[in-house]
Amino acid sequence: MKQDCLSSTARSATTVRLLCVFLICLCFPAATLYAQDSRPGEYQVKAAYLYNFIRFVEWPAAPAAVKNGPFAICVLGKDPFGPVLDSILSGEAIGGSSLVAKRISKPEDALACRVVFVDASEESHLKDILTVLDKASVLTVSDIPKFSERGGMIEFVFDGDKVRFEVNVSNAVDAGLTVSSDLLKVAVAVKRNSQPGA
Amino acid sequence: MSTSRSKSIAKKLTRMNMVVCVVALLLACTGFVTYDFSSFRQVIVRNLSIQAQVAGSNSVSALTFDDPSAAERTLSSFRLAPSIVSACIYTADGKPFAIYRRDGNAPIPTEPRTLAGREETYWYEHGNVLLLHTIVFEGKRAGFVFIESDLRAMTARVKSYIAIAVGVLAFSLVVALLLSHFVRRSIAEPVIRLAEVSRQVSREKNFSLRAAPGKEEGELATLVETFNEMLGRIEERDRDLQSARDNLEKRVNERTAELAAANKELESFSYSVSHDLRAPLRSIDGFSLALAEDYADKLDESANNYLQRIRAATQRMGVLIDDLLNLSRVTRSEMQRQRVDLSGMARTVASELVKNDGKRQVEWVIQEGVEGFGDARLLRIVMDNLLGNAWKYTSKHPAARIEFGYERSNGNSFYFVRDDGAGFDPAYSERLFGAFQRLHGMTDFPGTGVGLATVQRIIHRHGGRVWAKAAVEKGATLFFTL
Ligand SMILES: Nc1ncnc2c1ncn2[C@@H]1O[C@H](COP(=O)(O)OP(=O)(O)O)[C@@H](O)[C@H]1O
Ligand SMILES: [Mg+2]
Repeated sequence: MKQDCLSSTARSATTVRLLCVFLICLCFPAATLYAQDSRPGEYQVKAAYLYNFIRFVEWPAAPAAVKNGPFAICVLGKDPFGPVLDSILSGEAIGGSSLVAKRISKPEDALACRVVFVDASEESHLKDILTVLDKASVLTVSDIPKFSERGGMIEFVFDGDKVRFEVNVSNAVDAGLTVSSDLLKVAVAVKRNSQPGA
Repeated sequence: MSTSRSKSIAKKLTRMNMVVCVVALLLACTGFVTYDFSSFRQVIVRNLSIQAQVAGSNSVSALTFDDPSAAERTLSSFRLAPSIVSACIYTADGKPFAIYRRDGNAPIPTEPRTLAGREETYWYEHGNVLLLHTIVFEGKRAGFVFIESDLRAMTARVKSYIAIAVGVLAFSLVVALLLSHFVRRSIAEPVIRLAEVSRQVSREKNFSLRAAPGKEEGELATLVETFNEMLGRIEERDRDLQSARDNLEKRVNERTAELAAANKELESFSYSVSHDLRAPLRSIDGFSLALAEDYADKLDESANNYLQRIRAATQRMGVLIDDLLNLSRVTRSEMQRQRVDLSGMARTVASELVKNDGKRQVEWVIQEGVEGFGDARLLRIVMDNLLGNAWKYTSKHPAARIEFGYERSNGNSFYFVRDDGAGFDPAYSERLFGAFQRLHGMTDFPGTGVGLATVQRIIHRHGGRVWAKAAVEKGATLFFTL
């Protein structure tokens, strides 16, 4: 499906067209995400997705303590991202507050975060973590299997070798978060909790 | 032919109406369509722009999360817009991300162009309109939407315009036809009526006809009025002319009748006078003869001489009276025209003349086969007189030559009687045709002077002419025509 529109238009004046493409590429130096490496690493993609999720999710008005501080994206447990996450977030801002990456080890620390990525290493405490974060307006993301069914909001999955995600809308709504339909459109699966308290 | 000419004015008016109507409509249509197409192109571009915006904002998440199938799902909604040939979503760095093509193997959309700082641009290629739109999300370029649309909406519109224009044109032509019917009533019909009347006038020569004045006003009314006025004038003049002619004819008839009456009176008078003169003359002649025979010896010589003179004068008067009676008879007698052998007649007259005086040396030259068309009795009188004169007026010459013939010269033809006798002074050649006019003395050539007057009357009654040429002692020629 990813057919090259550009090269196959062999109508005429191919060089002129190629020049155009070249010019466009020059025009957008910000598009480094894909451009740097033709096959980005799994956590490179996931880090970018973490950053992108916040643009499709609305948070309720945050308490003053959280509000005045930076917009924190936290990694709970072992950090799989390394410097990638920091480099993505550096210099970015949302609603006047700058984005920062934090590494936390206790679930309670996650309350000060807007987004928390639960690393697979925390799978055994998952129930406790989610209990702590219950009703808190924190977007929970993880690649722990069945995360979205076990009370999480966004779960990274693989579609072939492509990183995709599932969304549990009920869990997000319970936390007072609004997930944009645009995000749901590109989700592999959109789930809702049919039984209350499940 | 003239009917078609008069019909043609109505036809011309109708045609003019039609032409004006068609031209006006075509101009209006052209203007309207030109305006509409330029604005409709803009509408198409605006719609395309909106579609690009919608597709773009719907593809933001797909672009963000690298999900081309979601973007393709978005683009597939273009199936509902059949004019869109192809669409393509590009990533922010210009790589094709999702493609839509209306026809499976249709040409693939061209690459995005440089936007030159603008968010959107469009251009035309191969009769299609192409639009490139930047997808902006949260203040950043997220990618591009490219749409290529054909102008089938435009074509459809052109078709519907043509249909409407044809409809309107047809309707307008019908209306124009109806209108021209009215125009025809008010312009063509008066003219046709006028033409009809004028044709009738010239055909029948009837100037009493009039064009019926219609309801029309202005120049047409004036035209009809003046036409009628003109006819009136012609009729009046005609009437005047006719009455003048009638009057003239009447007057001529009256005069002719008067003249004829006077002439007749005069003739009967002269006839009766001549006739009545005979009786006393006869007694003078008889008694003078008795006197001369019975008393000759008793009278002396001079008395006898007087008596002889009386007798000669009496005889002369008898001849005069005979001639006068002949002259009046010539004008009174009925004419019976026929072919007359003039040559034969001339020979008869000549032989009679020779019989009376056979001692003379005269050469007769009579042309053969000369004929005339007229009254034989009257023409005999003419020949008697002319040949008699020639005989008489050559009598003083020891030898003479008398000719009769028919001659043509300078396109004229005439009969002639020529002699080489005494002749006369040509200055008087007109006078000798009057009654009792003589150019010679009684002692030289006796005569009454009635002969040529009689000839002239007869020739005139035949519609001909008589004239003379002569010189003293060189003979005379008398010419006549019939
Ligand atoms: N052939 C002729 N030659 C000369 N004179 C002529 C001739 N015919 C006529 N005339 C002249 O015209 C006159 C009139 O002619 P006419 O009427 O015949 O009278 P008349 O009785 O004298 O013949 C004559 O008196 C004569 O003088
Ligand atoms: Mg005579």
